Amino acid sequence: MGIAFEGDLGNRIDALLAIGMLNGFSAKTEARRIALAIPRASLKAAQITEVVTAFYSPRAIAGPGGGGVGGNPEGVIGMPEGASFATDAPTLAPLLLKTTPEGTPAYTSPLARVLDTADNAVLFRNQLLAQFDQNATIVLAAPATGLVRLMSLYGAGPQITAKVKRTVVTLGTYPNGGPENTIKGDVAAARRFFADWPGPIVAVGSEVGEALPYPGATIEEDFAWAPAHPVADAYRLGKTMPYDAPVPALAAMLYAVHPDDGYFKVSEPGTITVLEDGRTTFTASATGKHRYLIVDPEQKDRVIKIYREMASSKPAPRAGRGGRGAANQNQNQNQQQQQQNQQNQPPQNRPQNRPQQNQPQNQPPEADAPAEAKPPTP
Amino acid sequence: MAFVTGKALPRRTFLRGMGAAAIGLPFLDAMVPSLGAAPKAPVRLAFLYVPNGIDMKNWNIEQEGAIAGELPRVLKPLEAFRDDFIQVGNLTHNSGRALLDGAGDHGRCSGSYLTGIQVKKTTVDIKASVSCDQLIANEIGDQTRFASLELGMDDSRQAGDCDSGYSCAYTNNLAWRSETQPLPPILDPRALFERLFGENANLTPAEKERQARYRRSILDFITGDTKKLQTSLGPTDRRKLDEYLSSIREVERQLEKAERESLTINPGMAKPYGVPPDFGEHFKLMSDMLAIALQADLTRVATFLMTAEGTSRAYREIGIPDGHHPCTHHQGKADLMEKVTQINEYHTKQLAGFLTTLKSMKEGDSNVLDNSIIVYGAGLSDGNRHLHEDLPTLLIGKAGGKFKTGRRVVYRKETPMCNLHLTLMDHMGVTVENFGDASGRLDPASLS
Repeated sequence: MGIAFEGDLGNRIDALLAIGMLNGFSAKTEARRIALAIPRASLKAAQITEVVTAFYSPRAIAGPGGGGVGGNPEGVIGMPEGASFATDAPTLAPLLLKTTPEGTPAYTSPLARVLDTADNAVLFRNQLLAQFDQNATIVLAAPATGLVRLMSLYGAGPQITAKVKRTVVTLGTYPNGGPENTIKGDVAAARRFFADWPGPIVAVGSEVGEALPYPGATIEEDFAWAPAHPVADAYRLGKTMPYDAPVPALAAMLYAVHPDDGYFKVSEPGTITVLEDGRTTFTASATGKHRYLIVDPEQKDRVIKIYREMASSKPAPRAGRGGRGAANQNQNQNQQQQQQNQQNQPPQNRPQNRPQQNQPQNQPPEADAPAEAKPPTP
Repeated sequence: MAFVTGKALPRRTFLRGMGAAAIGLPFLDAMVPSLGAAPKAPVRLAFLYVPNGIDMKNWNIEQEGAIAGELPRVLKPLEAFRDDFIQVGNLTHNSGRALLDGAGDHGRCSGSYLTGIQVKKTTVDIKASVSCDQLIANEIGDQTRFASLELGMDDSRQAGDCDSGYSCAYTNNLAWRSETQPLPPILDPRALFERLFGENANLTPAEKERQARYRRSILDFITGDTKKLQTSLGPTDRRKLDEYLSSIREVERQLEKAERESLTINPGMAKPYGVPPDFGEHFKLMSDMLAIALQADLTRVATFLMTAEGTSRAYREIGIPDGHHPCTHHQGKADLMEKVTQINEYHTKQLAGFLTTLKSMKEGDSNVLDNSIIVYGAGLSDGNRHLHEDLPTLLIGKAGGKFKTGRRVVYRKETPMCNLHLTLMDHMGVTVENFGDASGRLDPASLS
């Protein structure tokens, strides 16, 4: 299952943890990241996102002709068009100021310009089209602005219906409540999203995040395998450690990948309505396209356990060419072990250009045209 | 021909002669009314397409904004035109990507280049979409003798498998009149000449025989009209008309030379009648006629497939006997990469000749190049990896003063190429709400 994830990665630690969790699922070949976006025009948030994704997977070659940052669309960060960056100060921006004991920046991103990012709606649309029908899931841990723009693109409605099996969003409080913060980020978009989204929606309410917080005391132990881990460092920025953070984005990601494994209960179908003041109401109906997650107290320990395991997982081995997934990785085990060892180093110690990882960039595509068979033309 | 002294000469005036010979006129001062606002020269749009991507390391200008310093190697032949183009970065054709259709990037990238959609992978029941040039031609084509012109130089096969299951109709055409009907390009210069200036087939047998016997110029057939017109023109217009007719005569001479050579050179090669064996000569003939057609307002919309997508043409003219396509799959080998760069340079050198011709064609205080949009580019960026992002694209000409040239403009990653197509349609006076996978128009301020 391909996961397209939009999260408020400049401000929400649960969104950053969700990237770690998605990496963990990728390592187990249970999911793969197909697109990543942030909901606000913030170059710093895009840089934070890029730093975290580069921690888990290698950067493409930079420079003219080399594809630049994210030569493949999977590595491109989506971001909406935006206004001025004069007040670009996401909550987690201090992560970019962290230095090593030697005084050098711990986390640097080659993302220097908005031009290095893509329109989040276009990026999602392009990447969804590359998936088999009903083989993509969208996870949203941000206001619905980007998804509303996605469904507004010409012809996107049928494409979403064809490609997206489920959409899991951290919007609202259930069965009734709010106004919840994420919805307040763009109430109009949330209203339109729940009214018009061309497919089923599962909502993760703020109550889920509160009931299943991330155990902050485990951070030092679980992430100790990396001397400098951007997600752990971002977590430490939030409050005085240890603290337990609400993590609805992790619940959304877990449900998106394992909807049938009983981690959560799910409501009966119905319709979620967002009121003008941002409050949400749920009305049960057999034909409704919406459901919401319900915390199962008996599953709490199990949920927290998988939160920890997946969010702190080591970088997933890179899929081999033509494999499109880790399932084909056995043939490259030695190379991948080498990569993994390299990636387990602090990012600042990792070489920018990894020869073995750049090799595919100089390889021709899979099967090439039989154009050579053409007779020479004058 | 009929014109009345004291009144403006109609923009669409033809010099006619025997048979079907008819030659349009360039923009003359006599076409400007003595009172009232002078009519603006029309804006023309032509797409010149090169195959197999471009060596991007030697294509992209380092800095955005005004072009300063040395041009990259592939663009160096365009040094004289550095103030006449905008290099555009980061445009993407997502519909050229595999999107689950497997191999066949060459077939897809050319099929989608102007249609903006993912073409059907087939060698039988081809399906694309109406291309943007034809959407324009459908709207404004009635204002010119030809709604559009389709030129090519390479492979004209319309059936068969040209790329991993993609029909040759995708690799060998740029313009599509409908979902299933491509407009094959004219490859033979003589055929193009006759299409532009007279159908030889419409001549009577006696006229054909006489023309063949004396190899007479088509200008000879319109002598009467020409003389009549000349008496009513001022000295500037007379000189302009003389230059124009001379350029047609020059094309004729090139054609005759090519036809003579085609009888003596490479007799075993399957080649349309009259196609010069040398790529540069062939391009010059075709582009000279295209320039005349644009100057004379015979058409305002053209596509020119410089060679078919995926071509394995060898460039012996510049000492490269290897096929173009195999060279592009260089896998990092320096010698093959160098050959790709040389081929790319050779193409831009030809382009420079075409631009020189357009710029030399005066049009009021301006010239035909300034009143045109020449889109030069490819459907792949890196031909080695078959990348469909950051497609190499030049917008050459000032679009009648609407484009601020001499710059490099970069858009955000994944910006749909179709956004450019929508923008170009706007500039041609054709408003279309949606096209392909466009997410909107390019920011108008970015080009003006």
